[in-house]
Amino acid sequence: MSISKLLVANRGEIAARVLRTARVKGIKTAVLRHPSEVDSPAHLIADEVVTIDGPTPVAAYLDIAQIVDVAQRIGADAVHPGYGFLSENAAFVAALEEAGVTFVGPTSEVIDLMGDKIRARAFVEERGFPVAPSAIEDDDPATFVERARAVGYPLLIKPSAGGGGKGMRVVREDSTLETEIETARREGERYFGDGRLFVECYIERPRHIEVQVMGDGQGNVVHFWERECSIQRRFQKIIEETPSPALSEAQRLDICETAAGIARAVNYRGAGTVEFIYAQDGSFYFLEMNTRLQVEHPVTEMVTGFDLVAEQLRIAAGEGLSAAQADIPQNGHSIELRICAEDATADFRPAIGDILLLDEPRGEGVRVDSGILDGGKVTTDFDPMLSKLIVHGRDRAEAIARARRAAQDYVILGVTTNLAYLDAILDHPKFRSGDVSTGFLAEEATDLTQDWDPANTDILAAATVLSDARLVKALENVPEIYRLMGSWRN
Amino acid sequence: MRRILEVDGEDVPVWLASTREGHVLHMGEREIPCSLEQAAGKGAYTLELSETRIPMRIAVSESATFIHFNGRAYEIGRTDPAEALDKAGSGASRDQMLAPMPGVVVSVSVAPGDAVKEGDALLVIESMKLETTLKAPRDGLVAEVPFAAGDSFGGKDVLLRLEPQEETE
Repeated sequence: MSISKLLVANRGEIAARVLRTARVKGIKTAVLRHPSEVDSPAHLIADEVVTIDGPTPVAAYLDIAQIVDVAQRIGADAVHPGYGFLSENAAFVAALEEAGVTFVGPTSEVIDLMGDKIRARAFVEERGFPVAPSAIEDDDPATFVERARAVGYPLLIKPSAGGGGKGMRVVREDSTLETEIETARREGERYFGDGRLFVECYIERPRHIEVQVMGDGQGNVVHFWERECSIQRRFQKIIEETPSPALSEAQRLDICETAAGIARAVNYRGAGTVEFIYAQDGSFYFLEMNTRLQVEHPVTEMVTGFDLVAEQLRIAAGEGLSAAQADIPQNGHSIELRICAEDATADFRPAIGDILLLDEPRGEGVRVDSGILDGGKVTTDFDPMLSKLIVHGRDRAEAIARARRAAQDYVILGVTTNLAYLDAILDHPKFRSGDVSTGFLAEEATDLTQDWDPANTDILAAATVLSDARLVKALENVPEIYRLMGSWRN
Repeated sequence: MRRILEVDGEDVPVWLASTREGHVLHMGEREIPCSLEQAAGKGAYTLELSETRIPMRIAVSESATFIHFNGRAYEIGRTDPAEALDKAGSGASRDQMLAPMPGVVVSVSVAPGDAVKEGDALLVIESMKLETTLKAPRDGLVAEVPFAAGDSFGGKDVLLRLEPQEETE
């Protein structure tokens, strides 16, 4: 089948990005909009904008019945879910299937499997791919301590019912293992009402490395190389790049082939990402598989020259992959910065406001995937990410230089953003040398606050008063004698 | 023509004067000749200050000015002292009165426990050489007067608190 009309069940920058490719391919397009949203680039690109309702704006985008109904009503033969919202929701995929609408993504069975962390991990392990050594108490409580010991040190004890780091304990030597297990059990009972535990090997200063894969659902899978996403704040990626500065050529092939192998094992269809935790000694372990397009997919597009959304649409239309593995290059270096409306100097408090002036950077190797327009408004209804700045350079140093220049040239006035913070990360010696881990921001955050340059105060004060139309006008109306006195009074 | 600017979290009182030669910014004891010219592009300007020319982008909102220059965006809070003092007695909260900007307490006419009627003079403050009388926003009992005559206070400090109004039953 070919796709003649595509509904993008998303918003913001990713909706605009998907719509652009659909238009280039000559596909009619539609996008959703909640009444609380102001105009965004997606609304200008789409042929049709369909209003959806819900108790909250986010709830509207999660309303399966309503969105399936929209797709049928407007005659869309396919739905692209973007990322987030319903992109990894097996029930949504099943509902579309039933309605006879093509879902641009994998089957609901694969989404189900990969969405269940324990099942996914067991599946990957059974097929001989690397997972971090671990021991699950429930498997056989009588031998738990013995099996935990076999994992090796350092190890991490986690409550089975846990989350958010509560009750987690790092054990570095065998002599404390049993007492730490008892402490973790008491904490698990206290926090979660459940004392069952599991143990996994603790990886010091890990990196987050992931691999873009694409499958046709007919057994053919290719990879589009890796991305390194170790620059994270509270588990949220904010800078991604490819290639990873950590990998040798042999390691790169190893990790990319492993990812492709995992995708092949589930006969993967569409775009997916296999995430790994990468240890300082070069070993790596399967973490999870995301069954959708990732936020950071553009860096892959910059180095491979492929349009991943175009590939997704081909596969959904049954046209298969456009390239064999040997045709997919990794040219130069690409970096993505996530521009968020937040105040990095005030504990990353979400910022709101009107976008009074917007001027995006341009130039060689610079791409902006934006969800905002000049004159728009930033609210807390949705995720604080406003746009993504993606650059390409011949090598990592050129990519960093271009990313810094573009971040500095990016003018967003009226709402506070993390642009200066991102620029400070790019300028950090450890980032420059590629010596990072997922703990980088937590460990180095103090080095990223910049000292105030007193010369700025004069410049900003002068510009503020001189651009204050009321003040300058009032001054013009003051008689000469008072003007000379500066209207001072004592 | 005075303004109180908030730059990097600090209150910066300034005033602008105009002479035959152009505008002069007064900051503390310093006098800085400056001028601002429009340039090509939305919100584009060139600031001339101490003989350097600085290209910048500026956007002005009701209470703040946003400036992008030298690769960074800044938000400068902007208060017109005359207006702020007018509003001081009619603050949003009816239980506490906040300082609109830093200043000095000139006199205090009430003490904790005093019953006051709406419109009664409570204290006199001076900011930017302008005196203002703060009046009671409603009838009530004075709970707290944190500053005495002669004390200086910061912007947004609580100058007086009334006992919370009892719920009507």
